[in-house]
Amino acid sequence: MTHAQVENTRVDWEGALVQRACAGDTRAFERLYREHSGRVYGLCLRMTRDAQLAEDCTQDTFINAWRALPKFETRSSLSTWLHRIAVNVSLAKRRKSTPVEPAAEDKEAGAPGEWTLETPVEVREIETAIGELPEGARDALVLHALYGYSHVEAAQMLGIAEGTCKAQLHRARKLLRERLGVEVN
Amino acid sequence: MTAPQDSERVSSLRELPQAIEPARDLWPQIEARLNSIQAAAPAASGATIPLRRSGARLRWLAAAAMVASVAVGVWIGRSLLPGSSGPLSAARQPPAITGAANPVSSQATAADVAYVNDPRYQRQRAALLRSLQAQLATMPPETRDKVKTSLAAIEKAKEDLEQALGKDPGNALLQELLVNTYQDEMRVLTDVHEASNSGRGI
Repeated sequence: MTHAQVENTRVDWEGALVQRACAGDTRAFERLYREHSGRVYGLCLRMTRDAQLAEDCTQDTFINAWRALPKFETRSSLSTWLHRIAVNVSLAKRRKSTPVEPAAEDKEAGAPGEWTLETPVEVREIETAIGELPEGARDALVLHALYGYSHVEAAQMLGIAEGTCKAQLHRARKLLRERLGVEVN
Repeated sequence: MTAPQDSERVSSLRELPQAIEPARDLWPQIEARLNSIQAAAPAASGATIPLRRSGARLRWLAAAAMVASVAVGVWIGRSLLPGSSGPLSAARQPPAITGAANPVSSQATAADVAYVNDPRYQRQRAALLRSLQAQLATMPPETRDKVKTSLAAIEKAKEDLEQALGKDPGNALLQELLVNTYQDEMRVLTDVHEASNSGRGI
């Protein structure tokens, strides 16, 4: 079976599960949860930096998804749709505990999705450095550089202007460079 | 792809794992909340199912569907699969509230799918389909449309699943979904049949 065939089967499989979940089948929804919970939790954890809060966000993401499932169009990516919900939930939860951080726009053109390091760095070290970034810069970096969303998509998810998103990425790159001591390209 | 360990070195941010498993299984709590939502707003959740059960005239159908669901399950268990505790019976049960992962491959077997080819099932289905046309004719247009829409959605789901199974015949999840879809169809046909025979009309 080719990769494309496998991907088609996966999409068909997911579409069938979505259909059943829309009909009230929680078992089908559990399958979707099992398939996507790791990436959703990973995103929530990186945005909140708090395991308990990330668990709450993950639960709320799937509850909100269950409620909104009839509106989901099976032609689009369920993963992206869940990530949008997860970002909204994480931002809302975070706003309750911390003030919104103002972000300055600049003319940074933005970088391609692939952020490479001049010298390899330990996973633990880079995760810590990402976790210590200011919220706005971290959000943009996580969505763009880790999860591969474009500037436009990341900005839409975060509810900010594209220019602001680029500025945050510029800031994230600068801070990572300082903290890791290696060039980030 | 295996996620890199903490001590492993990466040279790109894309090499970092996107998925991180939470320390505990979150599904039981999610499921409990979903059940609360469904219990609190049965009308709202009913609005999303293929056969809409809104309106006083259709309220009885929910009860009939429940009876039919059990009847179909028992009928299949008794007459088609040797031993009613077989995998099909397991497939009929609601999801267990446990912390264990629910591996797809352990849920369904080829026997689940094979039952739809059983001559007795086929005869029963054919008989229900034959009487369906006459029963539809006696229904109010609104109800008739709902039944037709429901059956069309089920038919489409069957086609999609069979197509997907054609690409991946060994996929136990698809097999299970197909069985569930056939059961949904049987449930709707039985509901309509019983409603008409009860003389209450729809």
